[in-house]
Amino acid sequence: MATRSKCPHCGAPVAAADPICPACGKLQPPPPAGAGSDKFATLGFDPSFDEPDGLDERFRALSRKLHPDRFARATAQERRYSLEQTTRLNEAYKTLKDPVRRAEHLLQLRGIKGDPRMSPEFLEQTMDDREKLLEAKLSGQPLDALAAGVREKRDQTLREVRHLVENGGDLSHAAELLARMRYYARYLDEVEGRSAEL
Amino acid sequence: MSLFQISEPGESRAKQACTTGAVGIDLGTTNSLIAIVLADGKPHALAVDEGSTLLPSVVHYGAGGGPGSVVIGRPARRLAGQFPRDTIASVKRFMGRSSADPETRRLSPYRFAQGDSGVVRFVVAGGRVVNPVEVSAEVLRALRTRAEERLGIKVNQAVITVPAYFDDAQRQATKEAGRLAGLEVLRLLNEPTAAALAYGLDKRSQGTFAVYDLGGGTFDISILQLHEGVFEVKAVGGDSALGGDDFDRALAEILLGGQERTPHKVREAIDAARQAKEDLTRIDVTDAMGGPITRTQLEAAIRPLIEKTGGPVRRALRDAGAPDGKGLDGVILVGGSTRVPAVRRYVRELFGLEPLADIDPDEVVALGAAVQADLLTSESPQHDVLLLDVTPLSLGLETMGGLVEKLILRNTTIPASATQEFTTFADGQTGMDVHVLQGERELVQDNRSLAKFTLAGIPPLPAGLARVAVTFQVDADGILSVTAREQLTGVSQTITVKPSHGLTDEDIERMLLASIEHAEEDVQARLLIDNRVEAQRILKATEKQLESNGDLLSAEERQQIVDQMAAVRAAAGGKDHNVIHAQIEKLDQVSADFAKRVMDRGIERALKGHSVAEFDQGELSPHARKAYAALEAEETASPAQPGSTEHPVD
Repeated sequence: MATRSKCPHCGAPVAAADPICPACGKLQPPPPAGAGSDKFATLGFDPSFDEPDGLDERFRALSRKLHPDRFARATAQERRYSLEQTTRLNEAYKTLKDPVRRAEHLLQLRGIKGDPRMSPEFLEQTMDDREKLLEAKLSGQPLDALAAGVREKRDQTLREVRHLVENGGDLSHAAELLARMRYYARYLDEVEGRSAEL
Repeated sequence: MSLFQISEPGESRAKQACTTGAVGIDLGTTNSLIAIVLADGKPHALAVDEGSTLLPSVVHYGAGGGPGSVVIGRPARRLAGQFPRDTIASVKRFMGRSSADPETRRLSPYRFAQGDSGVVRFVVAGGRVVNPVEVSAEVLRALRTRAEERLGIKVNQAVITVPAYFDDAQRQATKEAGRLAGLEVLRLLNEPTAAALAYGLDKRSQGTFAVYDLGGGTFDISILQLHEGVFEVKAVGGDSALGGDDFDRALAEILLGGQERTPHKVREAIDAARQAKEDLTRIDVTDAMGGPITRTQLEAAIRPLIEKTGGPVRRALRDAGAPDGKGLDGVILVGGSTRVPAVRRYVRELFGLEPLADIDPDEVVALGAAVQADLLTSESPQHDVLLLDVTPLSLGLETMGGLVEKLILRNTTIPASATQEFTTFADGQTGMDVHVLQGERELVQDNRSLAKFTLAGIPPLPAGLARVAVTFQVDADGILSVTAREQLTGVSQTITVKPSHGLTDEDIERMLLASIEHAEEDVQARLLIDNRVEAQRILKATEKQLESNGDLLSAEERQQIVDQMAAVRAAAGGKDHNVIHAQIEKLDQVSADFAKRVMDRGIERALKGHSVAEFDQGELSPHARKAYAALEAEETASPAQPGSTEHPVD
């Protein structure tokens, strides 16, 4: 992260991703849109396909420093910084904690933008899956086997994405594979939703 | 935190807050409580009603409407049988609700005012009309003044708890009630989170806990993780219209049978049912309205209600990633309704765990709120923990075809924000309607409408070219503000979401005025406390100046000031705020010359190179304080970075 700014308090240089001035310990204004959009950096990690080691611990430690509860008696400006910095932190943590969001963000950082086009074969496959699910629901069959099949496809897809990302493969193909995860997630929600509503 | 310490003049503003107390308040459907962390570092619930820590959330409006006509707590509850329409109980059910809500039309004896504002309004004695926020404010004011009497300090800051499942309108209404009662609401805290806070600190535990909170009118379930002093709420759920009151109603239905249902009779049956329910936690059979009623009968009547809690519990467990309740380290019971044996049995079945109930389930929420108030206001809080809470419901916008596009999903850690771009669908379109919704359903009509506004001033362009970014920001209280911004021109509009059927600013102003008119006694008590505090402050300040600048006075002048200080001290010991005020004024007059000389000396020293601040570290004058507050307010209201939201801070 090359973007640096000056601490409005003491003038020391502060990295864009750093919410607290290393020199005077004061809360920093959040970086302007565009700068510091690396969510790995927000939590002090390098971009990676896997969940960074110590993610939860880092999130908790930063929350303790930045959360609005810590600034209930501070100036209005500091309260605002705290709200914005904590919002950023929460957003970054949510992204890094979820395998699909994390991979999407990784691709974004590597310059892959926009919604990829889904292949017709895949869309046909999804429709097939949904039809089977509907049939099973209507006939009262157990859904476990169907769910397991989709779960397996999901995991397989994620492994492919990892392979592409880590071995310099076709990243736009990786993005397309990732977009499939949303379909799998919705499918599984529907299966699990039913058992939870019982 | 030491409560009784009077701050030294010249110390930081933060320290001055110590002359007042920050309390935790559980504003309950049936009962309300107030608690505070005392010098022993522990939260204590204060006895506020006939020696009890429970203040029944019942407000009776007597005829006349003058001072003393509003009665709160047990005396009000005793009047409920005789004046069922003038005595408002369980008002929490009506908070943030519109008069069209099914909730409003359920079995209740009240008279509702007609009107187009959509807000629920009760007609009470003498044709007086009050709304739920005003009624709640009466309860809060009673808690505050009674706590002030007990503690001998001013209470003006509070953490108020709300059911985790409260939506935005209900949260806004609660905050408004706090403000109306003269309280700065430091934080709205979710009740189950508060309970976990009270438990976690006692036990120094780590792990994942469920909080099963069944109160008088609401059911909440929360799944929390406690780790390294950070409480993370993983999932919440519940039913904001299910509680012990429903048990009473179910039983009352049986007691009433085919009898004629006058408001009086209904009230009587509900009271008898509540008494019977309480009796039946200990014994197997009791009498109600002249007939026997058994525990088996009660349990048969309430079983379907208890089972309604199962759905939200399962959903929360799934959201928290613990689908079958495995891996839970404990289940905490909160709320008076968890005393019912059938409820405990059900919880045991549901979780496969023996529930924890070692802290009084009635007090645990208020105790947790007091801990949070201490955390927020104390320089060295007694417990170094942090709460990370979540949004209870998804927040979204209406899109084409009456569908909802969700921007922030339920169970997102707050504060949180999200931005979504929308575009125009007609050529030359210059305005865009923004309709904000809360809920989980796909269709607009099935969700709660929070607000509607129009972004005007979009440049006329072919359809699809103008881009409007809508940003949601949820603050740490769970309250939403929405900004819509046209990307090309930068035209933008921000609102803090006011519920569509909520209170207008005029309503709030009228309520503030009314609260002053009707709370004459409160005002007297408040003035007395205010003046006593002011007397202490001015005595300290004068003493300090006498010490450091006493050489500017002749012996005679000094004596005059010292005599007047004694008069102020004597007045402050009395009960008449007018006398205290008069003596303070007199002290001001007597020492005016002295003050001027002190000031002159300061300027002289400053001219010689010493800073005025170095010399005169006396506290800010009222004017300076006002100017400072105004500056702060301006800072709060100024727009944030381009492209981000404003954050209204109350």
